[in-house]
Amino acid sequence: MANKMKIIKKSMAWYYPNYLLPKIRGVIQCRDYARNTTFQSYYQNPVFRKEDQAKLIESSELSKIAAFPVKPPAACETSSVYHDPIVNKVINHIMEMGKKSLARSLIEKAFENIKRTQIERYHLASTQQEKDKIELDPKKILHQAIENSKPLLQLTPIKRGGITYQVPGPITENRSLFLAIKWLLEATYEKERTVHFPEQFAWELLDAASNSGKVVKRKQDLHRLCEANRAYAHYRWQ
Amino acid sequence: MSLIIKHLFIPTKSLCANFQQPLVRNITRYSTKSPVISSNNVLNSLTDWETLNKKKKVSKAMKAYLERAQEHDDFMKRQQFEYNIGKRHLANMMGEDPETFTQKDVDRAIEYLFPSGIYDPAARPLMKPPEEIFPARKAAEFDEAGRPHHYLFYTGKPNFFKVMFDAAENIQLSYIFEDKVLRKKATPDPDGTLNLSSSVWLTKDQLEQMLVENITDLEYDNFKLVMERLASLPYAYRHKEFIEKFRKSLGSQRFALEIPKPSYDDNGRAFITTYECLRKKARGDVTLRSPGTGKITINGKDLTYFDDIQSREQVVFPLIFTGMQDKVDVECNIEGGGPSGQAGAIRWGIAWSLRSFVDTDMLQRMQVAGLLTRDNRRRERKKPGQPGARKKATWKKR
Repeated sequence: MANKMKIIKKSMAWYYPNYLLPKIRGVIQCRDYARNTTFQSYYQNPVFRKEDQAKLIESSELSKIAAFPVKPPAACETSSVYHDPIVNKVINHIMEMGKKSLARSLIEKAFENIKRTQIERYHLASTQQEKDKIELDPKKILHQAIENSKPLLQLTPIKRGGITYQVPGPITENRSLFLAIKWLLEATYEKERTVHFPEQFAWELLDAASNSGKVVKRKQDLHRLCEANRAYAHYRWQ
Repeated sequence: MSLIIKHLFIPTKSLCANFQQPLVRNITRYSTKSPVISSNNVLNSLTDWETLNKKKKVSKAMKAYLERAQEHDDFMKRQQFEYNIGKRHLANMMGEDPETFTQKDVDRAIEYLFPSGIYDPAARPLMKPPEEIFPARKAAEFDEAGRPHHYLFYTGKPNFFKVMFDAAENIQLSYIFEDKVLRKKATPDPDGTLNLSSSVWLTKDQLEQMLVENITDLEYDNFKLVMERLASLPYAYRHKEFIEKFRKSLGSQRFALEIPKPSYDDNGRAFITTYECLRKKARGDVTLRSPGTGKITINGKDLTYFDDIQSREQVVFPLIFTGMQDKVDVECNIEGGGPSGQAGAIRWGIAWSLRSFVDTDMLQRMQVAGLLTRDNRRRERKKPGQPGARKKATWKKR
């Protein structure tokens, strides 16, 4: 019967006008070789962390979202307490050629180095007040370092009358996060060949977390430049 | 035929009001189906335009259409006949009653009698009723004189542009109504809302099928733009019927799916097995046993089957999420693919099996967390002429 159908389809060529023929083929075979490799646009992003879900339950939006299809969480995302989106981001920045486990081990070693340094400092501190000031959680130090390295302004080149001006302007949240991580890593890569990445990265993070060091200086330089170029700010809208 | 002639009366009457006698003759001639008028006195008594008008009675387009329609009807009849015969044959081959043999049985029989390993399901053998295989066609869009019925006929896509006009008109009406409400300072209807969250606009193909017209991508974009505009208005609920026509509900409610009851093994432990846990190239099955101690067995080894921590995290993700990490035992057999794909397949399998052991509240939370969604993405193929699926060679001038 299937063969019969195909023969009929061939013999239809004389009968149907040309513009109809592709349509027939479409109905019978639907050959979409370029299959969708992504989820449809109506798929919602998953909310898998417990604190995020608790918020949804509080605002009673959970059952509303449950009516939609939801994308599955990515392979690096879990609801575990050890999961941190910022750490994930940094891992992805460190990663080269898709070697994620290596990138992850590097950042874990850096965290270990931070922990060791901080514990050493903790034990060296004489008074209880000094001890309380020392942050022992490497993840918190990473967050603090990134927060301290985030620029608030950026310079955009704008061409007016044949001259390119560096015009200061506000920066988006995403871009400032990107720049902070990029600067931290660039500062780390400027190291002696004998020093390993985790050690240098740990030092950079500790420096940035205490609001000093190369990266914070870079941020302050940018801010100073923006301040100096204030006069050009009107080019943003003129 | 008689119906068509009735249509004809009205214009001819109004035209030939002064020529009472020829009119009568005219009609009788037509109704006896002899369009060629040889009588001399008729030609003498009629003006030239009258003759012309009459000769046009059945336009060439209409004639061609009638022929085509006839041919199409015959063709479809033949197809239907063959389909019915084929269905009876199939029923006999399968040893079932031909009278109660439904399309579902036909599909099953075809799958059994013509097993096909072709990857694309659409390319496999099929037997469907002819109405599904041969596209619907428009009925005559013009009368015998060749005048179109539809006022948008000359746009080439009357149905599509009618929809667009209607949408635009509804937008205008909505604006007018809003003005009225504002002028009267009335409070808006509290229960008048339009809930579009559980449906999506028709896709281009669906719209084409609905309108029986081919539309371009640009036209489809315009359609979506206009409909979005209409739906976004505060009083759009007054045109709910019109909007609903062009929406398709997402429908697939996970909880409507049947959740299997667990079976019991010799030790009296409840267990459930999910087969076909797929992700990337990995496939396997997952068995959950309750009550348990949180023992995980993957291909005979424990969690250290996976070398990298990310994969281990993935395996325990659904267990930690539901808080069942020390209440069930997990056994899985997995093969194919790499660690990431295998871990993903096990993650889905555990989540899918856990449905039988958690309450509806937790089910909802798992759904929102995306744990119950099968990830059916596959590696995208490499394309000829470029080094990868998307990657292009560096551009060189020469």
